[in-house]
Amino acid sequence: MPSPAPVVAGRDHTTQELYDRVAALDLSPLSVEQRTRALDRFVSLRSGREKPGRFWRVDFESISPEAGAIDLSAANVRVENHDPAVFVCDLATAARESPELFARAFGTTGIAATKFGSLAAAFAQCGVFVHVPADHACDDPIVIRYSAPAGAAIFPWSVVLAERGARVTIVERLEGGAGAFLCGATEVVTEDRADVRYAAFQQVDDDARVIWSRAARPGPEARMSWASAELGGELAASDLSVSIEAPGAEANLTAIFFPRGSQHVDVVSTVEHRAGDATSETIVKTAARERGQARFLGNIRIAPHAQGSDARLRDDALLLSPDAHVDSVPALEIGANVVKAYHGATVGAIDAEQIFYMESRGLERAAAERMIALGFFEPAIERFPTVALRDEIRTSLAAKLT
Amino acid sequence: MSDHALRIQNLRCQVAGKEILKGIDLTVDRGKIHALMGPNGSGKSTLAFSITGHPQYEVTGGSVELDGEDMLALPPDKRARAGLFLSFQYPAAIPGVKVANFLHAARQAERPGDLPPAKFRALLLEKMEQLGIDPSFMGRYLNDGFSGGEKKRIEMLQLAVLAPKYAILDETDSGLDIDALKDVGSSIAALRASEEGRSTGFLIITHYPRILSYVVPDVVHVMIDGRIVKTGGHDLAHRIEREGYDKLREESAVVA
Repeated sequence: MPSPAPVVAGRDHTTQELYDRVAALDLSPLSVEQRTRALDRFVSLRSGREKPGRFWRVDFESISPEAGAIDLSAANVRVENHDPAVFVCDLATAARESPELFARAFGTTGIAATKFGSLAAAFAQCGVFVHVPADHACDDPIVIRYSAPAGAAIFPWSVVLAERGARVTIVERLEGGAGAFLCGATEVVTEDRADVRYAAFQQVDDDARVIWSRAARPGPEARMSWASAELGGELAASDLSVSIEAPGAEANLTAIFFPRGSQHVDVVSTVEHRAGDATSETIVKTAARERGQARFLGNIRIAPHAQGSDARLRDDALLLSPDAHVDSVPALEIGANVVKAYHGATVGAIDAEQIFYMESRGLERAAAERMIALGFFEPAIERFPTVALRDEIRTSLAAKLT
Repeated sequence: MSDHALRIQNLRCQVAGKEILKGIDLTVDRGKIHALMGPNGSGKSTLAFSITGHPQYEVTGGSVELDGEDMLALPPDKRARAGLFLSFQYPAAIPGVKVANFLHAARQAERPGDLPPAKFRALLLEKMEQLGIDPSFMGRYLNDGFSGGEKKRIEMLQLAVLAPKYAILDETDSGLDIDALKDVGSSIAALRASEEGRSTGFLIITHYPRILSYVVPDVVHVMIDGRIVKTGGHDLAHRIEREGYDKLREESAVVA
């Protein structure tokens, strides 16, 4: 039996319970010591998601899982992969059987340096490692599904290594029952000229909570596409980041979110241009309805030596009710002088002239509003991989509009 | 009385508290082309919007009946489903909504279930070819980034696909070059030649007589300062072309 964590003076009972759980988690690929240090960071770090105003309902500093809800056997993980050349396994198997490949991706994106990335690391209990060998094109999308039963807290971790010239599309689906808590991480490493399209589709129950960190490191002339649709949860927070450390890389980030009822969504996108001659494009579409709240923080940082960078950021917000709230904060830090950087943002309600135009073509007002709102998302939906996924996102958005 | 006409009687309308229409009487018969001419600011577009039910145009008196049905009591979508169509001078852009999907939704709203999707697509392609619209427009977002001429062509496409009982064309000719103007003329002719559009009544609003060389009206009305001051035949348009509106303005002032 593992011994409980030492009792530390000044630590409250709830936090002590979390340390006790970590002390019992001797689970590859992370040691108890690594997990304890990760939990230390979770406890001491701030979230970087400060409340911008009194109307904001969520205080990220106070978010913590219930120790009693952490259930190591609760997570349901399913993977669909039809390509025998692609190696898919759980993290413990990866660490044991392919330690060299696994180490090229796992823990290399800096995810565990953030508050919630640290929480995910502290309790990482289930996960999937995907390895696409060099110059292999995987045509069928790989689907990873993480599902949490009602009331359970789960901590999944996905790791993708696409070797030079490899190509793959991955769809990550997040599901959770009432009151579930999902805190996970996804790391993607694309080596030279590799091309990874990674889509996350989050549809947990309306009173579940999801906090997810996603980080990617594209290699020289590699392409990395993140597309994330956060549609469920009373709280959905995600980090979407790409760190460009090699020249000629291309990063595409897409996010769709649509809080309604009392849902709260908080998304931070970050593109670090640390090498030159790379391009990035971030497109974010947010709608909010009823008392839904959303915050988007879009970071673009171009390092002083990253000449020839081309970074674009476009975020639009559609307010569908007077009580809905969207806060959109772009933050561009440009250190180099030979760059192209573009930022555009809009926030507003549906234009009355658009509604009248559609009504004058026989469409009822509600149908017109629904069509306009769905159309608002369309430029982002089109950046998701696979026809079936795009249709599913449209259907889910349409359901939230009725 | 159930007659086949768009009947406007003593229509008064104000915008932001200012009376623009001061009692309009005008009847458009099925299958006829009426031209409504008048200088800028005379209230022509206000008439178009008050007939079709734009919320910013407050009707303060009079009536609008479509084949005997009271239009003023209906919201704009029901007026459209009753058979009314407005070609906008400045059509709104709807990003993310594809031309084909929008037109299918509109056709479905106005004539539920009359065409299965494959037949609708065939109809759309046929009308696009007639109007010289590239098929790639089906997948483009409605009016989003379209040139002025492209927008007007798409309005004409909608007119052709919806084949309404009555069509109001609000300055469809404005901003168009001669070629585009000819296309508007031929699209109206094509609609009138079709089974569905044979009996469409037109109210073509313009302040230049130019378009009327391509679409010959049965009746010409002249509107000045919120009133119809003269109604006549095709020759009235020619007179305006020669003399402008000033002489008519003087005559109407004398009459008033």
